[in-house]
Amino acid sequence: MSWRDAILIVGGFGAGFLSGTIGIGGGALFVPTMTVGAGISQAVAQGTSLVAIVPTALVSTITHIRQGNVLREPALWMGGGGVVGGIIGALVAVEVPGPVLARVWGGFLLFTAYRLASQALRPPKAG
Amino acid sequence: MLIPLQVLWAGIPQRFANANSIVAILPIAVAAVPVYLFRKGSPQIDFRVALFLVLGSVVGAYVGARLLKRIPDRELKLAVVVVLGLVGVKELLLP
Repeated sequence: MSWRDAILIVGGFGAGFLSGTIGIGGGALFVPTMTVGAGISQAVAQGTSLVAIVPTALVSTITHIRQGNVLREPALWMGGGGVVGGIIGALVAVEVPGPVLARVWGGFLLFTAYRLASQALRPPKAG
Repeated sequence: MLIPLQVLWAGIPQRFANANSIVAILPIAVAAVPVYLFRKGSPQIDFRVALFLVLGSVVGAYVGARLLKRIPDRELKLAVVVVLGLVGVKELLLP
């Protein structure tokens, strides 16, 4: 095992931890771990990240169900709708230029972060 | 996208929203991977690299999912804000 492999394991742990706590797929950390940490090209990093997300999400899912963290109905609806949206999104994503897609996504994330921050920092209601 | 959908629009507490999100990501990822693999401009995959990432990530996912119950809703929300903010800035500036 080389240093590069160790970096991948540590980065993978961080991505998995975020997946378990924050509920994100893990790609946000998988990709920079590979490109910045291990010198792997962006194209290979993105493809490899997709594959690594599946077992990570599987372990998160099983653990969350056992811990009682899952509301089954919303999860089933989102998962079902997401499969359709995921396939359509993947078909669209390969046609749209990457930078355009990334900027739209970035804008959406920042807007969402702002809305969530406003909610978290709002003073609790009296009574 | 799944987290704000639940927290901001459906009023679901952050803990459940985060867990529901990753549960819903699983079938989405399983469905999207073949589309990415077999369409034009498909990304290449290094399965050896994926193996080492997964060695760390499955442990991280287990630990994170076990800890979720112990993190207060407000702190959890702020952690989501930080991660979304960082990724959002990166995507906007370095797409």
